[in-house]
Amino acid sequence: MRTAPATPANGPSIALPLAFVLTGLAALCAGVVWLVLQPGLLSTYHYNQDVIAVTHLFVLGWICTIIMGAMYQLVPVALETHLYSNKLGCAQFVFHLVGVAGMVWAFRARKMAALAHYASVFAFGVILFVYNMARTLRRTPRWNITASAVAASLFWISMAVTAGLSIAAAKCDYDPALALAPPAWIAAILRGLQSFGVYVAHFGAIRTMHAHAHLGGAGFFIMLIVGVSYKLVPMFTLSEVQSRARAVGSIILLNIGLAGSFLAILRHSPLESPFACVIVAALALYGWELAAILRARKRRALDWGVKYFLTAVALLLPVSALSLVLCWSGLPQNTFTGQLENLYGFLALIGVVTFAILGMLYKIVPFLVWFGQYSRLIGRVPVPSLPDLYSARLQSLGYRAFLIGLAATSEGILLSNETGVRIGCGFLALAVSTMALNVAGMLSHFFKPALPPAFKTSTPLKTA
Amino acid sequence: MNNNNNMVEVDARGLMPPHPLAKILEAVAVLPPGAELRARTDWRPIHLLAQLEQRGFTAVTEEQPDASFITRIRR
Repeated sequence: MRTAPATPANGPSIALPLAFVLTGLAALCAGVVWLVLQPGLLSTYHYNQDVIAVTHLFVLGWICTIIMGAMYQLVPVALETHLYSNKLGCAQFVFHLVGVAGMVWAFRARKMAALAHYASVFAFGVILFVYNMARTLRRTPRWNITASAVAASLFWISMAVTAGLSIAAAKCDYDPALALAPPAWIAAILRGLQSFGVYVAHFGAIRTMHAHAHLGGAGFFIMLIVGVSYKLVPMFTLSEVQSRARAVGSIILLNIGLAGSFLAILRHSPLESPFACVIVAALALYGWELAAILRARKRRALDWGVKYFLTAVALLLPVSALSLVLCWSGLPQNTFTGQLENLYGFLALIGVVTFAILGMLYKIVPFLVWFGQYSRLIGRVPVPSLPDLYSARLQSLGYRAFLIGLAATSEGILLSNETGVRIGCGFLALAVSTMALNVAGMLSHFFKPALPPAFKTSTPLKTA
Repeated sequence: MNNNNNMVEVDARGLMPPHPLAKILEAVAVLPPGAELRARTDWRPIHLLAQLEQRGFTAVTEEQPDASFITRIRR
């Protein structure tokens, strides 16, 4: 019996998305343990290197890694085409892994020069990713809402990475390198970076960082959640998009709101609130359409994967409310406001994006395992179905633990209570453990396939 | 599944992934020599095509006016 993930000729790769998914899950486990050990990162407000390191572990190591891996799997399905290049994806994985691991280390160790190098490695991986996805988009036989959202998200992640590199450029000290009298062209590059760094620095470190986070969080993550769910939620609930105008409207408004908010945050403009309202309006349209899709569904029972995802979408409500409060110009700058900012970031990244990803992972990983191990045996031998690959009890436990963890951590953040944050993150760690156990169980099918005993002992199957 | 002379029809619409893939591949496994299988799906069957190629079948997929897809499969 062959145990390696199978990929038919010219077929979609199983190994590439799985590599991203497993790396992302490892980062999530590390991040949650980090918060349990150091709850002060959330219970107090400060922009220190540890906070930035753990944030990048979650944002790049967990969320970005998973989303990129999921896109290698889902975008060809959603756009009805094949991935442009699997090899480019594999190359990106190496740059991504080295870049992200190095960045998190460099943030924590306060090594700014090394940070710039690792950030460049990561950025090169993103360039490969964007190019690969853009070429895949060009192959799509018909342009649809999801394709528009994917295209927009590629633009916004490019902007987010550019903004991040700009922040790094502004923090670097170029004088020691210039003092070494490098060749003229290197000196010109260094002086150019120095001037650009001075320009970026005049916006202020906190504003630049908020604008950068906004581009990545709302531009890449939320844009994809919205766009891809117009394809996947109907697919998993047996329904259809009910109003194309509503769906298109949500994507257009989201893009307008993102562009305006980015500039308004950067320039500390009074237009920050109006543009935040545009984003909230886009999300309201999205919620309206999603509710209509669900009402029209033919499959009445929702599985746990869909429940995780929809609960995450519902959490956009408190996150949107917090965003409107935080961009109000009359908000006093005090300790509690700082905690509200922590809560906003926590609920957006862990409550919405992480919960949504966990739900989608319960669709993606079983399919990858099932497709890689069993699809070639269909019609020749009874094969297990997708729900046979994981434990619904663990899913249920994980769902409850995640919600308790979110509530307890949120309360701990608001009350600046370190113990509350630690307990809440403990529950989140429990939820993550249930996911890890289920994923381990699914992967075990590559080594111990669930097949009739007579077939297990037979010679490897020869394909036609 | 409908059989009509040398034509086998499989309607795999209204099924959650990966059931359409499984249903069509099960039908393909018992497809008589010389027969054609017409499989109807809600989505373009990207994963199916690779599996069919691996099993020595040729397939052509066409989008229908109602936004469903018909894939014609021959050995």
